[in-house]
Formats: sequence, C-alpha cells, structure tokens
Amino acid sequence: MRDDLAEAHRRSLAHVASPGARLTAARRVQIAEVAREAYLAVEPSPPWVRPFDDLALDVAYRLARHAGTITEQWYEQIIGEGLHPLEFVEILGVVVATVPPIAFARGAGLPLPVLPAPLAGEPSGREADELAPAKLNWVPVAAPADQVASVVQALTALPDEWDNMWRLAEAQYMSDRQMDDPLWNRGTLSRPQMELVAGRLSLIRECFF
Amino acid sequence: MLSWSSTKSGAPANIGAIADDEVDAGLPHGAELVAFTDAAAGVDEGALAAARAALVACAGEDFMIDAAAVVANFEMMTRVADGSGARFPEQGADHRAAIADKLHINDFTSAH
Repeated sequence: MRDDLAEAHRRSLAHVASPGARLTAARRVQIAEVAREAYLAVEPSPPWVRPFDDLALDVAYRLARHAGTITEQWYEQIIGEGLHPLEFVEILGVVVATVPPIAFARGAGLPLPVLPAPLAGEPSGREADELAPAKLNWVPVAAPADQVASVVQALTALPDEWDNMWRLAEAQYMSDRQMDDPLWNRGTLSRPQMELVAGRLSLIRECFF
Repeated sequence: MLSWSSTKSGAPANIGAIADDEVDAGLPHGAELVAFTDAAAGVDEGALAAARAALVACAGEDFMIDAAAVVANFEMMTRVADGSGARFPEQGADHRAAIADKLHINDFTSAH
C-alpha cells in the first residue's frame, strides 16, 4: 500500500476526531460511527426511516447509505427542522472523511480502521470569511459562488472539511492539476481504467453528477 | 471522463460498459475492474473476495490497491455531489444529455 494513501486515510480519521467548525470532536465521532454503521450495513434502514431520532445522526445515516435518494426538498425540510446549513455541511464533511478509509480497506481486503478517540476542545468556528448562496449547490458556499465546479465548491464553507476532502482525492484518485492530463496515471491503472471504475461506482450509487 | 481520457490516449473506450454488463469497454482488465467495483459496492464479502482475487491474478496487487482507492474516492465524491445538491452549469448540457441517454441515468433522483 502506498504511504501517501495510508497517510491520507490516517489523517482523515484524525480529522474526524478533532473539533470541527461547529461540532465537538465527540459529536463528530458519534456521527462517524453512524456513517460507518450505515455504510457497512448488510440490511440498512430504508431511506425514509430516521433510525436515531436525532436530526444530525439521521442526516449522517442518509448521507452515508442513501445519498442518491436525497432531494432539495429533503434538505430544506431538515434545515426547517432546525439543523443549521453549516452543521449540515459539517456532517457531510465528517461522513465523506469517514467512508473512504473504510471503503478502501474493505475493498482491498485489509482490516477495517478503527475511529480514534475524540480530542478535547471547543469547536473552532473556522468558516469561510464570506458565505454565499449557490446556484450549483443547495448548501451555502464560500463567496463568490459558482466560479468553480459544484463538487469543488461544495464544502468551501468549511475550509477544514474542504482541505481533507481534496487531500483524500489526491491520494485516492489524483490532484485537480493532474485531472487536466488525460494520460496521467501512477503506473498501475491507466486514466481510462480509473474512469471506468469511477463511472461504474457512480452509476451503482445512482449519482447523476 | 472515460470518453475524453480514452480518446486522448488513442484508444476510445465504449462508455456503454459503465451501464451494460454485456458491453466490453475495450480496456485491459475492463471486465475484472467492473466486477471488482460491483463487488466493492455490494455487501457480499465472498463475492468481493473473489473479485479481488481475480483482479490481483490478472493485474497484480498494486493495481488492485489503486482500484480500491478509486472506489473509495468515488464513494466520497458521489456523497459530496448528492449531499450538497451539486448541479451542472448550463454550458455543455447537450453533450451531457447524450451521455445520460446512453447510460440510462435520467431517472436517478439526483438528475432532477
């Protein structure tokens, strides 16, 4: 296994167990445990069931297991029930920091990683200097909105979540700079072979994007 | 991205292989990669072990590791896209519509 990949996964789980912008580390680890359970469940709850009677945990479960069923109407309903939009972004950030190390280990036949113990400390409050509503996403993003692709700006409201996601992407797939080169590869999968896996996985997850 | 990268590499792949098991992508180890991706996205540990072993047998351990990494990456990116309500800009809509028709993905919840 590549050292950069192992390090990106280690750092991602350490990131989960650190205080976030709005959530304590203990709450983030609780969300990560739900994401892990949802991702690995052989018989998951249906998308419309809220298994935890806890808004943040139910959102985490839906994001981790049924993301392809999410609609803007559901998002607006969740926000209407009292979840702050930036808490939603942080939960999304925790889910996508947790699932990849688990998915990789399971796929590669390696022991599944254990979530670290949460660190002490208060939430950092670290958010983008200025937020803006986006046309290309339903979550708020860093201003100015819609200057880059929607998946690129999706987590920009919370820089620490954005940084972690792109650190993972660089180790698991490629950096944004390398994406511009159709021939770039690591000497294992060619770029078209990587895109075949990416396309197939996205189809299975019913992700139109 | 499959169409673009394979065309640029000089051997255009058949993107229909993404959605249709009967279609050959025209890539080395394409069938084994698809089987591994399917198994990794599923819940059958036996099927995953078999698909992993088949991929290692034809392409090697490092190749399988990097395939698992790409799977992990798109377990991330699909959730980022669907969880944040990611949409495409108007530009390029015709091209994307043609691909969506070919892959039969217009009925996905995230397409609306």
